[in-house]
Amino acid sequence: MRDVDEREMLFRRLSAALGRHGSPGGTPSSPAGPTPPPGKESGRISRFAEALTAVGGVVLSGTPEEALPVLGEALRAEGVSALFFPQDDAGAREVAEALIPFGPFTLTTGEEVRGGNPASTAGFRTADAGIAETGTVVESSNRGGTLLPGLLSDVHVALLPSHSVVERMDEAFALYAEDPPRNISLISGPSKTADIEQTLTVGAHGPRKIIVLLV
Amino acid sequence: MDPRRSIPVSLFFTCLADAFYPRTAFAAVEVLERFGATVRVPLSQTCCGQPAFNSGNRKEARAMARKFLLSFPGDGYIVSPSGSCAAMVKHGYPVLFRDEPRTLALAHAVGERVYELSQFLVEVLGVTDPKSDFSGKVTYHDSCHLRRGLGVVEAPRTLLRAIRGVEFVEMEESDRCCGFGGVFSLKYPQISCRMTEHKVERIVATGASWVTSGDLGCLMNIDGMISRVGYPVKAIHLAEILAGGPAEPAPGTAGKGTP
Amino acid sequence: MQPTAHLFPRNAQKALADKTLQAALGRATGRFLHHRAEAVAAFPGFGEARERASEIKRQTLAQLDHHLGRFIEEASRRGAVVHVARDAAQAREIAARVAKEEGVTLAVKSKSMASEEISFNVALQEAGIEVVESDLGEYIIQLAGEAPSHIIAPAVHKTREEISRLFERKLGEPPTDSIPALVAMARRHLRAKFLGAGMGVSGANFLVADTGSVVLVTNEGNGRMGTVLPRVHLAVAGIEKVIPRMSDLPTFLRLLPRSASGQPLSSYVSVLTGTRREGDAEGPEKMHILLLDCGRSAILEGKYREVLKCIRCGACLNSCPVYQSVGGHAYGWVYSGPIGAVLTPLLVGLPEAAPLPDASTLCGACGEVCPVKIPLPDFLLELRADMRSQGLKTPGEIAGMKGYAGVMKRAGLLEALERVAGLLAQFFTKGKPVEGLPYPFSGWTERRDFPAAAAQPFRKLWKTRRGVQG
Ligand code: SF4
Repeated sequence: MRDVDEREMLFRRLSAALGRHGSPGGTPSSPAGPTPPPGKESGRISRFAEALTAVGGVVLSGTPEEALPVLGEALRAEGVSALFFPQDDAGAREVAEALIPFGPFTLTTGEEVRGGNPASTAGFRTADAGIAETGTVVESSNRGGTLLPGLLSDVHVALLPSHSVVERMDEAFALYAEDPPRNISLISGPSKTADIEQTLTVGAHGPRKIIVLLV
Repeated sequence: MDPRRSIPVSLFFTCLADAFYPRTAFAAVEVLERFGATVRVPLSQTCCGQPAFNSGNRKEARAMARKFLLSFPGDGYIVSPSGSCAAMVKHGYPVLFRDEPRTLALAHAVGERVYELSQFLVEVLGVTDPKSDFSGKVTYHDSCHLRRGLGVVEAPRTLLRAIRGVEFVEMEESDRCCGFGGVFSLKYPQISCRMTEHKVERIVATGASWVTSGDLGCLMNIDGMISRVGYPVKAIHLAEILAGGPAEPAPGTAGKGTP
Repeated sequence: MQPTAHLFPRNAQKALADKTLQAALGRATGRFLHHRAEAVAAFPGFGEARERASEIKRQTLAQLDHHLGRFIEEASRRGAVVHVARDAAQAREIAARVAKEEGVTLAVKSKSMASEEISFNVALQEAGIEVVESDLGEYIIQLAGEAPSHIIAPAVHKTREEISRLFERKLGEPPTDSIPALVAMARRHLRAKFLGAGMGVSGANFLVADTGSVVLVTNEGNGRMGTVLPRVHLAVAGIEKVIPRMSDLPTFLRLLPRSASGQPLSSYVSVLTGTRREGDAEGPEKMHILLLDCGRSAILEGKYREVLKCIRCGACLNSCPVYQSVGGHAYGWVYSGPIGAVLTPLLVGLPEAAPLPDASTLCGACGEVCPVKIPLPDFLLELRADMRSQGLKTPGEIAGMKGYAGVMKRAGLLEALERVAGLLAQFFTKGKPVEGLPYPFSGWTERRDFPAAAAQPFRKLWKTRRGVQG
C-alpha cells in the first residue's frame, strides 16, 4: 500500500519537474536513430571467430573427428576432470559423451555442481545465437534453458550452430523483443577481473575459458 | 594570399601579456603585420573577465565582458595570442548574457570575429610558411582551451613544423592540462603543482630546449616550475617563435641561470 | 554513505602524500585511458553511437514520467515487485523490510553505486542480515572496512601484499604474492556465498521500459551469479537509468565498455526480465526492484538535468588530471572525479560539497570523453556561480573580485597600477621571478616562481612606440 502511495508521489514530483500540469499526458516520443546497416553475409563466421578470439575465447570448427581431439586436449590442459550439460540438450550431451575417450573425464550434472561438487568442470550447452560484431555467445533461459554450464563451470563449451550467428547486437536482441525470457546472457570472453593491481586475471567467478564449437 | 590586400585586425592582447609579457603582444603584432594585417590595438581593453567567470563571480565577469564588447566596435577580425581568452569571449560570453538578448546578440557578433593567433594565421590568412628564423628543438603544449575550447590542434603544429630551424618534437600527453586553471592554482596549489610536475616531466623527457604554447597562462605556470627547479628548458610563447625568437630573455628566466 | 565532501582539501593533500596510491593511480588511469582511446579509434561508429545515446537519454529524461511508468508497468506484469524510495532513509527501510519478509539471512551483492548512495549494507546489517560484496574489488574493500574509491576499479589503491595480508587475517588464507592465487581464493569464498545466499542484490546499468528488464554489465560474472542462483533478486537503481526500448540497448552497450575499460563488450551482459518462468531450470522466484529518487527528481527540474544522462562509465574520472592526482576517496562520497564534482553537490547539497566544484582546472577532458555528452565543465561553472548566489563564497574572494572588476572598468587605472607593479618588481627583484608571494597567492610560490611584472605594461610601450590608435 505504502509503495503505491510513494509511487504516486514520485510521479507527481516528476510531472512537476517536467513542467506538466496534472497527470502525464501525450505519448512518449521514441527517439529514432539510424537503423543499423544489415550485416554482411560473407565472412560473418570469421568475423565472429576473430572477435571472440581477440577477447581470449577459443573457436573450434570442422568435423567431429577433427574437433573432438582438439577440444579434449584443451580441456585436459585446463585441468578439467568432469563434464556437465543440460539434460534436455541433445547436442551438448552428444559432444560431452563423445569426449570421454579423450579424458580422463567423468560426467556430472548441473545440480551436482550447484550443490558444491569441487571437481574442475567443463559445462556444455547449445547457444541461442552468436554475434559477429562483438564475438558474443548468447544464451538464455528461453524455453526453460539452463544457464549453469556457462555460469558455474571452469571452462564453458558453447555449441553454436553456424546459421545462428548474426552480425549485430540489434539482431540478437530482436530475437527476444516480443517476449523476453527471464535471463538473456551475452557472453563475450572469459570471466575476468583487473581489480588487483590492474592485472588482468581470468576466472573471477565464472569460467576462466570459453570455447565455442561451431556446429 | 594577395600581399597588397590589407586585413584589418584588432589585437586582443590579454592582461597577462599586458602586465607581464609585453614582448608576446609585440611578437603577435609583428607576425600579423608580416602577413599583411593592419593591426589596431584598442587601448580601452582591459580584461575579458575570465577569472571572475571561471570562479563563479558572474556579476563582476559581466561588468568586464561589457567593457570588452565596447572596446572592440566595428567588424574586423579580433586576434589574440591566447586560446583561453579567445574561448572566453566565444563561449563564456553567451553564457553570461543568456538572459540579456541585446547584449547576447552583440556577444555572438563579437565572438564570431575572435580568433586565436595560430588559428588566424593558418585558417584565415592561409599561412603555410611563417617565415621565421627561429632555431632550436621545440616541443608544444596544447592549451586546454585552445585545443578543446576552440578545437585548434593542428594550426600551431603546422606553423612550427614549417620553420626550417625548428626541430619539432611531440611530448607525451601534450593535451594533458598543465595544472594552471587560473583561480584553481591558488585554491588547490598542491594539486595544481602535482599536475604541473607531471607536465614538466613530459616536457623535459623530450630533450627539447624550448616548450611553447598558445597561452601565456600555461606558460607562466610551466615556466614557474622550470625556473624554480632549474630545468634545462625554456618556455616561450608561440608568437615569439614565429616572430623569430625572444627579443628579451624567455619569460621568468630573466637573469636566472639558464643553460 | 555519509558524505565527507567538505573535507576534500584535506583528503586531497593526504592522497597526494600517499606514495602507493600515487603509483597505483598513475598506472590505473593511464591504462584505462589508453585502452579507451584504442577502442574508440578501432570503432568507427563511436561518434554516431555517442550522438544517438546522448539524444536517447535527453529525450527519455524529458519524458521520464512516461518511460518510468512504462518500465514499472512492464516489470510488474512480469512478476517483479517495484518499490519507490524518495530518500535514502526510506530506501534503507524498504530494503530491510523486503529482505526480512523474504526470510533472507545472507545476501550477495554485485556492484551498485546507487546502493552505496543509500548505505544499503548498513540497512541490512542493522536488520541482522549479512551482506557480502561479490565484485572482487568491492569484496576486498569490504573486508578492509573501507569505502569504494572508483566507479570501475574500487580497490585501485591496494597492492597485492596488502590484499594477501587482508585475506590471511580475514579469510585464514596462506600468504601469497600471486595475483591469480588471490583471485582463486576470493572465488572460492564467494562461490560458497553465492550458493548459500537467499538474495542476490544488483544495481542496474539500464532499465528497459518496453520490457521491464534490468540490465547488468560485468566482467567478473558476479552479477550473473547473484541473479541466477539465489531465490530472491533485488535490483536497486536510480530512476534515471531507464531507456525506452530493448532496441536501444546496443547503442549503449557499444559505448559503455569501450568508455569504461576499452573493451568492445564486457564479458557478461545480463538482461533480466521478471521472475523465473514456469518450466525454467533456475532463476529467482521473487524479483524486487527498488527505484531511488534520492534527489533525482529535483535535478530533473533544473538546469542540471543532463547530468542524469550519466551511464557511470568512469571515463571522465580517468581523463581528469585532478582525479589522476588525488584518486576517488578524496571526493568524500560515492561518486568521484568530474561526475562526482557535479553530482555530489546536487545530491547531497552544495554547502556540504562546496569544495568540489572548484576542484577542476576546467581543462575540458571530461566533457570530451563522456559517451553521453554531459557538459561537465559547463556544469562545474554553473555550480560555482550557484556558490556565489547561495552565499557560499568567502568574503575575501568576493571583495577581491569586486576590487579586480573595479580596476578593470578603467584602462587608465589599470595602467597606473601596472606601472606601480612594474616599479615594485624592479625595486624588489630587479625584474627577476618572484619566489615568495603573500596569501592568497602564497600557494603559487610554494613550488613555482611567479613572473615579475613588466617594467612597463604593453599598453604603455605601445603608446610610446606606435602612438595611440584608439
Ligand atoms: S559523466 Fe559521462 S564520462 Fe563520467 S561516468 Fe558519467 S557517462 Fe561516464
